[in-house]
Amino acid sequence: MFTGSDNKVAIVAGAQTPFKAAWADRQHVDLIGDVINGALKGTGLRIQDVDFVIDSGSDILDGRSISNCGFLGAMGAHQKEESRVEEDGLWAALYGATKIGSGSAEVGLLLAYSKPSEGSVPAFYWSQCEPFYQRPVGFGQAAAGGLQAQSYLARHSLSDEIFADVVAHDWANAARNPAVDVEAAPSADEIRSSDVVAAPLRELEMARQVDGAVAMVITSERVAERICPDPVWITGIGTAMDQHAFSMRERDSLPACRAAAEAAYKRAGIDDPTTLSLAEVSASSAATELMVIEALGLADPGTAAQVYGGDGPAINPSGGALPADPIMATGLARLHEAALQLTDRVDHGPDGATSAVVHGAGGVGMQNHCVFTLEV
Amino acid sequence: MDTKAAAKKMEMRGKGLGSSVTENPVFPGRIELPYTLTTGRAAATFLAELANHKIVGSRCPRCDGIFVPAQDFCAACGTSLDEFVEVPASGKLSGYTETADGLIGLVRLDGATNDFPHKLLDTQLGELKLGARVEASWAAEAEGSILDIEGFALGGDEGGEVKPLEPGAEPVLEQKYEMRLDYAHSYGPYYGMLFDGLATSRRIQGTRCPSCERVLVPPREYCDVCYVRSGEWVDVADTGTIKAFSIIHLEFVGQTREPPYVYAEIVLDGSATRLIHTVAGIDVEDAKERLQIGTKVRAVWKGGDPIGSLEDIEYFEPVFED
Amino acid sequence: MRDVAIVGTGQTVHARRRTDVSQAGLVREAVDEALADAELTFDDIDSVVVASGPALFGAVNQPEKWLVDGLGGRMKPVVRITSGGGTGLAGALAAMNQVSSGFAERTLVVAYDKLSEGALQYQISTLYDPFWGREFAVGIMGFASAYWRARIETLGHTEEAAAMVGVKNHKNAFLNPYAHVRKEITVDDVLESRPLAWPIKLLDVPPISDGACAVVLASDDAAPKTTAKPAWIRGMSYYGEADNAPDRFMLQSVPLQLAAQRVYKKAGITNPRRQFDVAELQEPYTCFELSYYEGLGLCPTGEAADLIASGATEMDGDIPCNPSGGCMGANPIGATALIRLAEAALQVTDKAGGRQVPNARTALVQAGGGWANLRGVAVVSADRN
Repeated sequence: MFTGSDNKVAIVAGAQTPFKAAWADRQHVDLIGDVINGALKGTGLRIQDVDFVIDSGSDILDGRSISNCGFLGAMGAHQKEESRVEEDGLWAALYGATKIGSGSAEVGLLLAYSKPSEGSVPAFYWSQCEPFYQRPVGFGQAAAGGLQAQSYLARHSLSDEIFADVVAHDWANAARNPAVDVEAAPSADEIRSSDVVAAPLRELEMARQVDGAVAMVITSERVAERICPDPVWITGIGTAMDQHAFSMRERDSLPACRAAAEAAYKRAGIDDPTTLSLAEVSASSAATELMVIEALGLADPGTAAQVYGGDGPAINPSGGALPADPIMATGLARLHEAALQLTDRVDHGPDGATSAVVHGAGGVGMQNHCVFTLEV
Repeated sequence: MDTKAAAKKMEMRGKGLGSSVTENPVFPGRIELPYTLTTGRAAATFLAELANHKIVGSRCPRCDGIFVPAQDFCAACGTSLDEFVEVPASGKLSGYTETADGLIGLVRLDGATNDFPHKLLDTQLGELKLGARVEASWAAEAEGSILDIEGFALGGDEGGEVKPLEPGAEPVLEQKYEMRLDYAHSYGPYYGMLFDGLATSRRIQGTRCPSCERVLVPPREYCDVCYVRSGEWVDVADTGTIKAFSIIHLEFVGQTREPPYVYAEIVLDGSATRLIHTVAGIDVEDAKERLQIGTKVRAVWKGGDPIGSLEDIEYFEPVFED
Repeated sequence: MRDVAIVGTGQTVHARRRTDVSQAGLVREAVDEALADAELTFDDIDSVVVASGPALFGAVNQPEKWLVDGLGGRMKPVVRITSGGGTGLAGALAAMNQVSSGFAERTLVVAYDKLSEGALQYQISTLYDPFWGREFAVGIMGFASAYWRARIETLGHTEEAAAMVGVKNHKNAFLNPYAHVRKEITVDDVLESRPLAWPIKLLDVPPISDGACAVVLASDDAAPKTTAKPAWIRGMSYYGEADNAPDRFMLQSVPLQLAAQRVYKKAGITNPRRQFDVAELQEPYTCFELSYYEGLGLCPTGEAADLIASGATEMDGDIPCNPSGGCMGANPIGATALIRLAEAALQVTDKAGGRQVPNARTALVQAGGGWANLRGVAVVSADRN
């Protein structure tokens, strides 16, 4: 997998809380404890067997500085190696995978969580903009989404009608996923008639932020063979960040996502990603989801909307990030979902799935991207 | 926390208690921090020249691009940029959207390589078209902020040219900034029980780890050490011992006690965890000599109705056994 | 597992306040110096790890997404690690794993804080649980002073002994061109300085600094191609501990001991006092350095005051500690731990100039943050394991 290393990395277990708009009756530590405990359950591993914990969360969302520092007990990280990656949880997985890949550890816990319901999602994003030029003018995640959608449609001469079908597809999948709290999946018509919140994007075409936590157990090959009948192997990882100023980036495509995917595919030896069984991707809006699908090489530019339900990889069988975006946990949730589907632990995955591409993102207008490839 | 936030907290706590069990009370938190941010040489120059109604860009010698607003580093190639240029104050609209914050446009000033975001003024979404001419609308008074350009309005002539900057203004090296973040923290079942007990009957409750049998305050679901689910609820005393203390002379933003005072980490009788509070009822200078590890203390509760917070304890006072 | 070496280091000249650069510009200065030291350009760098203190220090959330332009990081892996005061070492450890696993050949680690931008003690108080304790928190100083007083009572870590640490580190800082505090002080000056959180007094406390540090790590393949004098990282680890765990032992840092144990085993260190030629310790208050002497096994528990009094940790002692001046010379919190690592690399590659410990081949590095519950240790050496 990683160039120069023979150490394989296995995903052996995972757990998540249900994702819902607000976990008003649970604290961060309550959600964290639930998933750490849940991930270990059934593996035969005890907390004492865990070599390290790598976690992903946000000080700005949590309302505490170095919030990991106060949550170490709930994380099971007492007197263990621990580190906070203040990026989407898929980067925590990257760190954990390199730790096992380097041979310096054998059993790792990965954790990602967010409770956006307790704070301000717009503030989480505007505070990522440099404070002199972008922040004062009201530029933030919503504006970035609107501008990306406008640019994508203009570039490919498409109508904004296409977004609603993408959203309806994802929400219908989420409704079949017991881990996502969905009362009723909106129809394409309902989506098309929701309020415009970042022209041309409508409210239901933006990712819905939710509260939730995800934990996963990754191990060396040696440990996986001992404890897990059906490990999922990480075959490739790639990540890339685009420049800061949104207005200087390409807006009708996501070149950093493409760079991340190319790096992951190269490491995994994947020549044609359309032969993969499934794709679990993150996105800030319907428009960027289409751009992600294209950047991952699953559709030609401007055609992503046509590959949903097609012969290629099943896209977001879990529902993806549009119905359930637990911000810092979104990418790790995709990884967890893909692993569940590849090991046939859930009903909503494609039949006979053997390989997956997983995508996580971060930053205003999806500045940063991380891609994993998996196989069983 | 400032006094206003504390007052709000009291109010919210009261509400939480009065409400039915199904409604979840929240703990309001506010982080309000003052900053003096340094702008860096490019932004310092850009922000300063706005007073002269000049828009400053940077030329990248490696990419041959003109980047507006001026940047310290070329985002494309990382080159350190030190050549400033003046770009025309009008250009074309290369993107626009409308959000709760209003109309935001991406403006490509004439001669610039890139777009930049700003507010669009005196127009409506329906009137906008990609490629439309726009021009800067200047604020009446310059304050050294990007908002010295109030925004961009439709209009403006073509034909302006990029020219070398003749700097005239003193760079704006610093900018005052305040960041305010508001929170509505969930109590969760463990803190909920603790704070309800405090508010209704000044009870301090913890949970006992079934494995090591130690009592954890604040209560929590998992024992940090054993990582097993904690078991029974237990009341702990409002008396305890000093585990460590120091004497605070320092003054700082956000402080809730007036120095000098005794900061203490206290282990309440019946618990195995530390509580942060203050020790009073003893002369601060005497405290240096008389307080020790293991000195007994007891809580002195505030009068009136409790609010359900550590603030309900005014301070701890030492109980000397001799 | 591949061995990893430091092949270039850079620092800003640290200052109480830099008004001439933004946070991004500050970081860039250190990066330019590290790349020049390694004789590399941005094109040679596979990935970037950014480490800095809490987002609230600089009013920018996930600041690596702003800094990327000045790091030449576009289209590369860029990730930020944040872990309190020791974050610089936590970042280096993440980078080391990237290289060791083969994910990258050369990784740039940058660490910084521009502390002059905000109100530090209040910012640090936001570490505390908003429900329970934040209202009485006094940054980390209240906590640190309380347990120092406890160590005075139980371990004899006197005010005089801590003052000697301050005098030594201030003296050493004179030799370090990057340090911004250059002030000769005496034990009496420290003892008579204004109490801030007694027993912590003004001169027990490091300055508040703006500063950045950058380090280039390379694999055992790439390192010899880059420099004739790589500084091999023979072990590095970073442990955490639940702050309010039941009966948490506060007189010694258990995570520090765990990290040391692990790293010493890896590097074959059985007698730290004899095997290390030099140590760089992150002592945000003078009292911490005393505690680390014991936690790191440079002396037995309860003998730290004797160790400093013996002169063994002075520049001409048998185990010089903080020839750079440590935090007393400059303390840009997020960068501080990486500065310790960089200084150790300079020592074992004979590049430490006026603060060089003669013939230093193996150096001990210690870092930490949080409520003394995040602790890291590294061993850097001219020799490979």
